[in-house]
Amino acid sequence: MDATAKSDFLPQEEHAPAKTFVLWRPIAPTGLMGWLTTVDHKKIGFLYGLFALFFFIVGGFEALLIRTQLMVPNNTVLTAQQFNTMFTMHGTTMIFLAVMPLGAAFFNFIMPLQIGARDVAFPRLNAFSLWTFCAGAIILNIGWFLPVDRFGAPDASWVGYAPLTSKTFNPAHATDFWIMGLQLLGVASIAAALNFIVTIINMRAPGMTMMRLPVFVWMTLVTSFLIILSFPAITIALVELMMDRNFGTNFFEVSGGGMPILWQHLFWVFGHPEVYILILPAMGIVSEILPCFSRKPLYGYPIVVFSGACIGFLGFAVWSHHMFTTGMGAVATAAFSLATMCIAVPTGVKIFNWIGTLWGGHLQMRTPMMFALGFIWMFMIGGFSGVMHSAAPADAQQQDSYFVVAHFHYVLIGGSIFALLAGIHYWFPLIFGRMVSEFWGKLSFWVIFVGFNVTFFPMHFLGLNGMPRRNFTYDPNMGWNTANFVSTIGAYILGLGILIYFIVMVYTYLKGERVGPDVWDGRTLEWSIPNPPPEYNFRVIPTVHARDAWWYEKHHQEEIAQEKAEHAKAEDTHGGIHMPFSSIYPFVASCGILIAAIGVSALDADWVHPGIHWKLGVTLTGGVIMFAGIYLWALEGAEGYHLHPPGDDHTPDATAKKH
Amino acid sequence: MRLTTLLTKLFCLNVSAFLILGGGSLLRASDANFFVMDGRQTTIFTEGPVARSQTDLFFVTCWVTLVIFILVGAVLAYATVKFKARNAADEHAEPPPQSHGNPLVEIGLIAGSVLALVIIAIPTLKAIWFTYDVPGVETRAQFEEMLQKGEAYEVNATGYQWWWRFEYPGELATVPESGGKAPLATANELIIPAGRPVRFNLRTTDVIHSFWIPKLAGKVDMIPNRANFLWLKADHPGYYWGQCAEYCGDSHAVMRFRIVALGPKDFNDWLDSQLQPARNVPVKTAATGGAKAQFASLRAFRQNESGFSSRFDVAPLEAWKEKQFPEKNEDPELIAKGKALFTAKTCVGCHTVRGHGAQGVTAPELTHVGARTTIAAGLLENNHEQLQRWIHNPGAAKPGNKMAKGYLDNKITLTDADEAALVAYIESLK
Repeated sequence: MDATAKSDFLPQEEHAPAKTFVLWRPIAPTGLMGWLTTVDHKKIGFLYGLFALFFFIVGGFEALLIRTQLMVPNNTVLTAQQFNTMFTMHGTTMIFLAVMPLGAAFFNFIMPLQIGARDVAFPRLNAFSLWTFCAGAIILNIGWFLPVDRFGAPDASWVGYAPLTSKTFNPAHATDFWIMGLQLLGVASIAAALNFIVTIINMRAPGMTMMRLPVFVWMTLVTSFLIILSFPAITIALVELMMDRNFGTNFFEVSGGGMPILWQHLFWVFGHPEVYILILPAMGIVSEILPCFSRKPLYGYPIVVFSGACIGFLGFAVWSHHMFTTGMGAVATAAFSLATMCIAVPTGVKIFNWIGTLWGGHLQMRTPMMFALGFIWMFMIGGFSGVMHSAAPADAQQQDSYFVVAHFHYVLIGGSIFALLAGIHYWFPLIFGRMVSEFWGKLSFWVIFVGFNVTFFPMHFLGLNGMPRRNFTYDPNMGWNTANFVSTIGAYILGLGILIYFIVMVYTYLKGERVGPDVWDGRTLEWSIPNPPPEYNFRVIPTVHARDAWWYEKHHQEEIAQEKAEHAKAEDTHGGIHMPFSSIYPFVASCGILIAAIGVSALDADWVHPGIHWKLGVTLTGGVIMFAGIYLWALEGAEGYHLHPPGDDHTPDATAKKH
Repeated sequence: MRLTTLLTKLFCLNVSAFLILGGGSLLRASDANFFVMDGRQTTIFTEGPVARSQTDLFFVTCWVTLVIFILVGAVLAYATVKFKARNAADEHAEPPPQSHGNPLVEIGLIAGSVLALVIIAIPTLKAIWFTYDVPGVETRAQFEEMLQKGEAYEVNATGYQWWWRFEYPGELATVPESGGKAPLATANELIIPAGRPVRFNLRTTDVIHSFWIPKLAGKVDMIPNRANFLWLKADHPGYYWGQCAEYCGDSHAVMRFRIVALGPKDFNDWLDSQLQPARNVPVKTAATGGAKAQFASLRAFRQNESGFSSRFDVAPLEAWKEKQFPEKNEDPELIAKGKALFTAKTCVGCHTVRGHGAQGVTAPELTHVGARTTIAAGLLENNHEQLQRWIHNPGAAKPGNKMAKGYLDNKITLTDADEAALVAYIESLK
């Protein structure tokens, strides 16, 4: 701050110069120009939310058309080509244009407030992310308005498996729109993710240590890392595909020796972390809402955070479970099968800790809490069907059937969307200073909850009964009629629920009851500021004394005063330089890695005697040592001592004081 | 009865009873109770060892997760009810103790989850190796030996947009046109020996397809530049439904096929008849001339209209067996006319009819098409009406298909009479 203050910043109240560099500095605070040129993280977050909800409605409408076509066998509402376009765009829209940007909306709006910052690290980059996202959304959807024969909307499914996307099988520009659209959305996402990472690392308020970060901020951080690590894979795949289609290269062109299976690997190396990009923000939101409405801290905070990071890591080790039917061979299938099962552990841990949070609390059953509890239930069901898929041979039957469709909708609607809707309700009073009526909020929850389950629960049975997904029609003699009919009725109920939700939101925005700040008796810093938040967020950057900073501020004034006094006293007495204790565990962990590496590289995979397998034994031993080292490292804590350099008796220097 | 099968049935019955009693009267209004999951493509009521091992594994995962769901759900439900604030005063009471967690509880729960996963992991690994390849086969030589002994069978299955070609590498048929021999090939209706492991070499000529016969085995994809395979065994003779399970373009939904598993004698009889060149119906044998087949003119079909009679549904295997014999009221003249049209209208450019001079390879092989129960890749029943529906406008039944494009490219038009003749000819190809 100090270094830059003198040169770049204008004195108070002075406006921007009319013209700086080629184009002018916009000064409009509101109006179209104000919104187009804003760099305020809250306005950008709001716009992200607005666009995301628009596309959520569009994707929902596509879903209703799909369900209408499948309501009865051999239906004729849509042609085959239209149906294929619908499910392609439904998937692409919901993932890239609805759930991801809705997550980004919360990252933008809430995260800086929760860490006590006045904006994100790179405000203009943030605006660039938003508008690039819009560009991608336009490119993806532009085909709807162009002639079908040469253009049309994408219809090669959201996974775009080569070689169906090649010029031979999809000559129209529809696929080019899909490639370019995803590419732009990737640029937007990566730019935004880098911005969030830098913000979280660098812009935390004093005292907001990493282990005091609200869980939502932690999940923002993990998600952002997932984005910058996973998007490059699909960027490469899309560039290769684009070159195949435009410049005659042969990455996926079978006739030129290309390998279509390569597309699947690249796509899912991105695609599986993407799933966690969609769910981790939701978990973060739920981890904020449950403590707030239980009026007690999140149970097992460190382990929830660690589980989130763990899910992020494991997310990169399981992509091939989307490819169990591609003939990978028994060993690869087994490896990915087991790795996938491992993900159930950190996920389960989260659920246990959410329940632990409720335990012994005073649960206030407000609308956000209803959605959050709905999330836990639905996410459990989605998680359990996920475990069923991890058993690869069982998955050979479920893959690409409606069982999978049921599974991922339980995770994405019952999981992500429920949590995002909960988040909208939760932060609505903060963002707009108005509160949604409890009656209408709960009504919309119940309609959505019932509609969702009626739509997607029967799909489990449909899938086990052998109905493949992405089918525009089916015969009446397959035993699928009832489930499809029920499912479609459920979809209409779900649609109605969403409609109620949005009408209520718009009504509340215009005419809802005005409320004061901190309406929920919140625990985190965003509730410490007036609503709607002023453009500078915090008049004074807060000093953080504990996790759940705002709650602590409200309930522990004495302790804070005491802490300050003690701190001052300690500084006075020891006055030394804070130094960390030495630790043996980093060394232990590395030794474990070394042993495991020797096991993997130097030993033969034979059973010497029954029960003695050197390769397996040594590798596993190394692994155990590594994990033990890391675990104990975490447990011993980062304590330290105060060092008094010789000859420096009584003048503690500034750095020592600051820690 | 195996324990898992028993559990399976109990599970289905319980779930259905539970849900129906729970207010599902709506469900009974329709044709079938979908909770029983005994449809044509069920993965639950299986009829072969591969599918059975997959279903058994599914039920292991199902039971384990169900137990956990009930336990965790019970705690969650209890916590929700027990700790709910009853009224406004309760809500604003002093905050509860601000507890932060308990490492022992966490470790216990993690250990419990890992244990549950081990219960799933062990049968998973077993099933992965069991379903991967024919038991006892580790090398190609071993498999050849089994083939020699008649303990196994081999079929090459190839996916096309949007139909299937099945080739029997072990059965050589004479090709009268060239005088040579070529492996027997059929399309869209797969005949396999029951009770013998069958290994499929899965190939594709265009995009990715996925070969799936739910009652017999889970799916394996057909991927360009990749030599995938799958094995399965049908416990007993039967008629099965299969379908492409990987989105493969416009008509993916109607890329279906049928599987007929036959006992040893039936299978050999079928092979013998298939190895023959296409059947000829001499004009003079029908000297009486009375047997004129009567065709109603083609009625209009709705888009996506179902192509099956209910009779076919009741006993498909019997329907298949009937199909093996020539129609009673064949009209030799009409058939001869159809045969001529088959060449004149350039059908021969794409289809093969071995012995009739048709040697095209880009479309389904038709030498014995009359003996199949379905046409158009399992989409339509093989009868006069549906055949004519197909020939009249292939693009309506199967959007985007090459036959419709061929009509346009080659400016092919067919009169009602032409269509009737072609239908008679195709039906005669037993």
